[in-house]
Amino acid sequence: MPGESHFIEFSKPFIDAAKNVFETMVFTKLETQKPQIKSDAVSRGDISAVLGLSGDMEKNGGRVPYKAMLVVSFPYDTYFKCASAMLGETYTSYDPEIADLGGEIVNMIMGNAKRDLKTMGYSSNMAIPSMVEGKDHTIKYPMGTHVVLIPFTTTHGTIYMEICYSEAE
Amino acid sequence: MALKADIKILVVDDMSTMRKIIKNMLSQIGFTNIAEADDGATAWPMIESAIKEGRPYEFIVSDWNMPQMSGLDLLKNVRSTPGLEKLPFLMITAEAEQGNVVIAVKAGVSNFIVKPFSAQVLKEKIDRIFK
Repeated sequence: MPGESHFIEFSKPFIDAAKNVFETMVFTKLETQKPQIKSDAVSRGDISAVLGLSGDMEKNGGRVPYKAMLVVSFPYDTYFKCASAMLGETYTSYDPEIADLGGEIVNMIMGNAKRDLKTMGYSSNMAIPSMVEGKDHTIKYPMGTHVVLIPFTTTHGTIYMEICYSEAE
Repeated sequence: MALKADIKILVVDDMSTMRKIIKNMLSQIGFTNIAEADDGATAWPMIESAIKEGRPYEFIVSDWNMPQMSGLDLLKNVRSTPGLEKLPFLMITAEAEQGNVVIAVKAGVSNFIVKPFSAQVLKEKIDRIFK
């Protein structure tokens, strides 16, 4: 996979940030499962929060552009349990009151990861989060990026984080 | 809690879930008089009319990144308004970069919280603002 070594170093801040966000605001610990290369566009969850990132990074003594995207997908039941934990009320359906909760989670993960990415030499500009919902929905990845799927187990169920990344050759 | 429970608070965030989380935390801390706005552009007229009504907000808790008027621009409006130069203003942001803190301090922020945060951290920041 092109840029594989950078992909691994690029992914770590997102894993650390996700653990911090879920522990502090969703009151659950993330247990990291084995990452996998994802080669299809179908989400492993029913509700996905998606956030793009772009910027440049140090490579071969110069700076080259990169593009990336963070996706956090939840099975319905897991999303409702996370929402209930965060907001202190019980939710059992995808209603407007909790529609932007996933977006806020990816926003916090990306915001935290940006700090570590900066120390690693990445400049980064965050996009605005969006939500996709429905059984077997697909994710539109930026052209030319590779996707790593990192499942996390939690007391609320399994959460799937995807990081897609590509850098200019 | 040393502060009055009914201190008039305005929570500003474009994400409804985050407004709810912040309001829940403020309620847990013991505050009872909490209004909300979904953008700096919504908050600013609320702040102005509260002044005209003679019941100004006593504490603003605002997100930084909002689509129409950012928390930073809201803070600048507040600080440039006579009588609001010292209105306690707590900025909340998802972006943990040090540069943001410097910008907010220069604009006159009272304190600063990086998401994610707990009710305990929010309470500590409020205690520091009002000590």
